[in-house]
Amino acid sequence: MKGTSNIQRQAARPPWRRPARFGRWLRVAGCGLLAFVLNAAPADMVLIANGVYRPMFRSAAEPKAVPVKAFYLDALPVTVNDFLGFVRANPRWQRSRAKRIFADESYLNNWAGDLDPGINAPARSPVTYVSWFAAKAFAQWKGQRLPTVAEWECAASASATRPDGENDPRFQAQIQQWYSRPTPAVLPAAGADTANVFGAHDLHGLVWEWVADFNSALISGDSREGGFSDRRFFCGGGSQGARDPGDYPGFMRYAFRGSLQADYCVHNLGFRCAHDL
Amino acid sequence: MNMTKALLEIRAGLTVGIAFVSVLAFRFVGARAAEGGPAPAPNIVVPADSEVVGVENAVLTDAPNVPPPITRSRATKVIVHLEVDEVTKRLADGVEYVFWTFGGSVPGKFIRIREGDEVEFHLHNHQDNKMPHNIDLHAVTGPGGGAASSFAAPGHSSQFSFQALNPGLYVYHCATAPVGMHIGNGMYGLILVESKAGLPPVDHEYYVMQGEFYTAGKFGEEGLQPFDLDKAVDERPSYVVFNGAVGSLAGNNALTAKAGDTVRIYFGNGGPNLASSFHVIGGQFDTLYADGTMTNRLHDVQTTLVPPGSAVIVDFKVKVPGTYPLVDHSIFRAFNKGAIGTLTVSGPENRLVYSGREGDTIYTGKPIASVPATLRAAPPTKTEAAGLNPALREKCARGKQVYMQTCFVCHQPNGLGVGNQIPPLAKSDVLMSDKLGAVRGVLQGRSGQLTVNGKRYNGTMIPFPNLSDEQIADVVTYIRNSWGNSGDAVAASEVSKLRKAAPALAANPFE
Amino acid sequence: MNTSKLSFALAAALLVNAHLLRAAELNTNAAVRSCCAAKEAGGLRPAYADKSLYQVESQWTTDGGKPIRLRGLAGQPQVMLMFFSKCTSACPILLNDLKRISAALRPEQRAQVGFTLVSFDTERDTPAALAEYRQAWDLPLKNWTLLSGHSDDVLELAALLGVKYRKAAAGQFAHSNVITVLNAKGEIVRQQIGLHEDIRETVQTLGKLVRN
Repeated sequence: MKGTSNIQRQAARPPWRRPARFGRWLRVAGCGLLAFVLNAAPADMVLIANGVYRPMFRSAAEPKAVPVKAFYLDALPVTVNDFLGFVRANPRWQRSRAKRIFADESYLNNWAGDLDPGINAPARSPVTYVSWFAAKAFAQWKGQRLPTVAEWECAASASATRPDGENDPRFQAQIQQWYSRPTPAVLPAAGADTANVFGAHDLHGLVWEWVADFNSALISGDSREGGFSDRRFFCGGGSQGARDPGDYPGFMRYAFRGSLQADYCVHNLGFRCAHDL
Repeated sequence: MNMTKALLEIRAGLTVGIAFVSVLAFRFVGARAAEGGPAPAPNIVVPADSEVVGVENAVLTDAPNVPPPITRSRATKVIVHLEVDEVTKRLADGVEYVFWTFGGSVPGKFIRIREGDEVEFHLHNHQDNKMPHNIDLHAVTGPGGGAASSFAAPGHSSQFSFQALNPGLYVYHCATAPVGMHIGNGMYGLILVESKAGLPPVDHEYYVMQGEFYTAGKFGEEGLQPFDLDKAVDERPSYVVFNGAVGSLAGNNALTAKAGDTVRIYFGNGGPNLASSFHVIGGQFDTLYADGTMTNRLHDVQTTLVPPGSAVIVDFKVKVPGTYPLVDHSIFRAFNKGAIGTLTVSGPENRLVYSGREGDTIYTGKPIASVPATLRAAPPTKTEAAGLNPALREKCARGKQVYMQTCFVCHQPNGLGVGNQIPPLAKSDVLMSDKLGAVRGVLQGRSGQLTVNGKRYNGTMIPFPNLSDEQIADVVTYIRNSWGNSGDAVAASEVSKLRKAAPALAANPFE
Repeated sequence: MNTSKLSFALAAALLVNAHLLRAAELNTNAAVRSCCAAKEAGGLRPAYADKSLYQVESQWTTDGGKPIRLRGLAGQPQVMLMFFSKCTSACPILLNDLKRISAALRPEQRAQVGFTLVSFDTERDTPAALAEYRQAWDLPLKNWTLLSGHSDDVLELAALLGVKYRKAAAGQFAHSNVITVLNAKGEIVRQQIGLHEDIRETVQTLGKLVRN
């Protein structure tokens, strides 16, 4: 199938840089043919092939595996530079003017001014201290959207060498290691790591990322409440169990998302956009 | 006289007035309710208890220090502000670790309150942290010990209140998924709820908490060490330490007391996995508050078991100067993983209680029954020490290590083998004439009949494919240069060639 | 040779097309943006306080078929619940909680308080279905609003209210149980979390929000 050979070709990509001219024309031709059947691929996005999402928390009645349709995902998280363009064009999203209901007091906290990211927010580093509303507004402005949890987890399940990263112990260990390292005060540029088999960078190891339905895991702050559900607080959660108690990185992502409110701006939480095929 | 009476009346009036106003004021304190899900709910009203008088900010301390004893005789409202910091600190010399802490250190701040107190608890998750956090205090009666109500994302705070119903020394810890990792990274501490009667006064109070750390590297391996999940799940810690680091209570950081002082240690165990057998070498616990309760007192205890998530209070009087190590009496943890601290007692000697060494003399007892020649340990062979070039000597030294870990069990330390099953290596004609055959024997094992030095042997040698090429080369070199043998070295490349050429091996009994 | 030239030309044409489309998109955005910029430049002062939910632009339809934006609810305190009509477990209890709150208010208070139910189930809870629900559960015509909307807007409202939900099996929705009190300006003043909870504090809060 066209999609799979594409993935194999993209295996073990070097760090992100613009491809050579000849290579680009070849890709253009290939993409053009693909675009003939589908829509044109937006710039700087990669194709995440049809996949399967295994929810971390689900009730017995819900399916263990949910199919995820192929979609486009930003190869990199949205950068400070990208976001600067957005706030320039949308003054109501500038730091001094954003409504508190849409972004809390920490919105763009590390920027020097409304239109001046400053030294603590390097242009090519992922933009953080943005709320879910701000991320959504950016995506909409670009004619795109936020990925869902299922889509994001699907894309992130691939390592640099294989689509099923959960069977790659070195990959899991690498993700674990990120949690054992402190967050740098100034984030490095996006795209410095090796891309995964889909061609996406930095899904692990740089920042947490907003997703469209970040509030879809019915977990409370206390992670030990038997089966993560309490009929009193959650309707229809059933008795949920965690899919894999050993998947610590997965746990941590769910715990992190569960701690968020839509207006939160956190220093190591950014986002990237998705687009339908 | 009138003035005094008037002043007293004013004072009484003011006290009542302030109490009244403060009670009123607290009815309108807002709080974030987070049971079952985050939601901004500003107007949770905490009911006021008429027994509770006044308000104060809790004094929090870092281990090994303890806040001063409670002197008030009434319950009060205590406000606690505890900040979670993810910080890189020293775990051992040359070893760094990213600790997740309550208050900047492991263990977390010591909280000291009184039975009946109303606690307004603020948990602040520093904005530079990576993870969300919460807190479960074992002193709290309510869902999760506060965990569901204290969940906070980085850069945010949470608040909840509780009444301290039960006196005792309690553990607190983070309960955010994955809980084992949060605790394993150092998120635990102690909260003391003094009983109404309080504890008898002592000269020194100290705070010591045991915990394990699971690092990818071995004990002592330098650098910034990451958390190792497999080791944590298998309960194989690299470090078992007091107060968050090897040597935290050593040298200049040792606990101190003078001879004749009474010492109290509030000892907790954060785990996450191991129970502690807490013991002070050279002393006894004169009074021990079992499991951290105020009522179950034992006396004259040598070693006490403190499970993870539990604590104990021990009081003892030090009478004789000297060094008194605090240990986990699961002794390898004390000497190989760091579970040791020091209490240094200074002052005049007390020869009646402990005399010190009174003398030593020669002693000759009856001869011990003789050991069969074959099993007597072999004297060190000359060839190992002299006559070898340095490279070969080094190789043999490494090979001897391998031999004394693995081969000696069958072939004996003196290389003489056993009975008719295990052939000797010392002066073995087979060994000396067939170097590669020996390597093959280690790699693939051997079974059946074998004639060595004219004697027939019939046994089985298991294969050791788990040894590396280097190790096999070293050990075969060693045996070919010991006990009167003298031969050339085996190179690791020779071993790897044979290993590749070897047919598929039978199942390795070691795997 | 010919076919490859053809496919190359086709690809080029498609790409140009795609870029043109994108440019058009951006232009539209620009037009929208410039419109909004003008409005902002014109200094239209926000009519609602910084934390009011009524600042969102989402469009909803009542069970009576009337289009409404959330700010249409302004002017009186609202007791808001997110639910869905086919829910068989918690929502009936939550609806009963709303009724209990209403019953606990004095008549003159009740006249000043709105109850708004917003459905998660954008597919099945059409205005007509919600009208049936109102009848089936005997909800008063006055002051009780039932809203049907688009899934994006439901997501946004849930995010604003701090309500967690997801589509579960068999057309059901798993969701957290939250009753929210908004003041007349649309700011959240209180949330009651759980089932069949003590309503006294919520009633007290409402009492303070209305003219007594």
